[in-house]
Amino acid sequence: MPIAIVIIVPLLLIPVLIYNSLIARKNQVLNVFGAIDALLKKRYDLIPNLVATVKGYTQHERSLLEELTKIRAQALSGQISDDEAVELDNKLTRALGRLLLVVENYPNLRASENFMHLQRTLTELEEQISAARRAYNAAVTDYNNAVEMFPTSIAASMMNYKPRRFFEISEKQREGIDAGEHFRR
Amino acid sequence: MKAKTLDDFKQFCETGLSADLNALEARRRALARNLTYAGAVVAGLVLIVLFLMGRSGVQLFPGLLFPVIIGAILFGFITHLAGKGYVRQFKATIIRKIVSFLDENLDYSPHRHIPRSTFIASQIFKTAPNRYKGDDYVSGNIGATKIEFSELHAEYETGGKNRSRRTIFRGLFFIADFNKHFTCRLVVLPDTAEKLFGGFGKTPQSWNLTRDPLIKLEDPEFENFFVVHGNDQIQARYILSTSLMNRIIDFRKKTNRHLYLSFVGSKIFVALSYARNLFEPRLFTTLLDFELMREYFQDLQLAVGIVDDLSLNTRIWTKQ
Repeated sequence: MPIAIVIIVPLLLIPVLIYNSLIARKNQVLNVFGAIDALLKKRYDLIPNLVATVKGYTQHERSLLEELTKIRAQALSGQISDDEAVELDNKLTRALGRLLLVVENYPNLRASENFMHLQRTLTELEEQISAARRAYNAAVTDYNNAVEMFPTSIAASMMNYKPRRFFEISEKQREGIDAGEHFRR
Repeated sequence: MKAKTLDDFKQFCETGLSADLNALEARRRALARNLTYAGAVVAGLVLIVLFLMGRSGVQLFPGLLFPVIIGAILFGFITHLAGKGYVRQFKATIIRKIVSFLDENLDYSPHRHIPRSTFIASQIFKTAPNRYKGDDYVSGNIGATKIEFSELHAEYETGGKNRSRRTIFRGLFFIADFNKHFTCRLVVLPDTAEKLFGGFGKTPQSWNLTRDPLIKLEDPEFENFFVVHGNDQIQARYILSTSLMNRIIDFRKKTNRHLYLSFVGSKIFVALSYARNLFEPRLFTTLLDFELMREYFQDLQLAVGIVDDLSLNTRIWTKQ
């Protein structure tokens, strides 16, 4: 009888452990995705301040500033799909990159305390966003490994878990970041 | 400020250091001569005792070993006492001048060291040392970054009957203000499991229950050298940006030593293992050999250069 217990108890435990590890990995992915969302929102929150600061110094950049405001309004309207959110985010990154390039023509603006602080905050947020994306990809790798590898794959298919997609940075977005870096030097 | 090169240092040795070096060399020679005499006297005494003991029929082993051991201890003691003043003068002039040559904002205290509490707070080493000593403390600002470092030797001694001592860390311990804000805890350790077992090393790494969860980074070269534990997956990657990871890899290759890092309380801690004593003069080799000076210079420059190597003066984030 004791021998039966020794054999049966672990056998019962294994499915529980597999189930729990799959749930944990899925939650890790969702958790990091939420963090990316929060960081992106933080970046949108900077825009009104940025627009107000830049407006005071420039006359010819109206359209660019209006574009920024428009993107923000769209992003925060709450009626967009995930794909649209990613697209808007890319747009924002590009527009911000252009703005930072344009600012080179306005030495007074560049030297203003307010702008310098905004720029630092922006750089920081951008790096935090990129860190969160890397964390997301790491979490997805973990999750996908569990979903596709034996024996967890059996439980995953029973739970209807599918492999998830990585967060990819588009070519255009990379250019946007480069423009920003070009300015910093 | 531009980093000092070896050529700059060579020139500095010839102009700024040569007077001190010559004075110290004279003192070293006299000391070495006296010690040779003292050594000869001690050896003579030991021989006489051995001779007398041999005649009165004492066994070769272990009886005759005692005078030799006592002689060696006596000689070591004399060397230590006689060398003390010389070591003090050497550090107060030569090492101090090399430190301020590297950067005049740096301050050098030969007898101080990084406190034990800071060593423990770095969280790099899990065992709290109960034997702890160090010297050669340097502190100051390199650009916007506040740094301090010293030589340390931290050991753990077990009590009881089978008393034994184990070294936790010996080498250079460096602390600097980190250039980004963060609230998490992050430890970067040399990777032993992964080197032995390749990718399979990840599993034993994650079993390490005394540490925070494992952080898997995407750079395979970095993962080959290090294992990272931290309590925040996102902030960990914010600190270890791809560029910082590359810089750490380069620094690890440059030093070719066991390298430990941690990021705690807005600071970066770097521990570099050394098997030898740092910044100590040698009694029986000449001081006028540039090779020796180069060693002191390069050991110090390695520590001071961490700021540049890890680009800690880059202040493009909100922390200024």
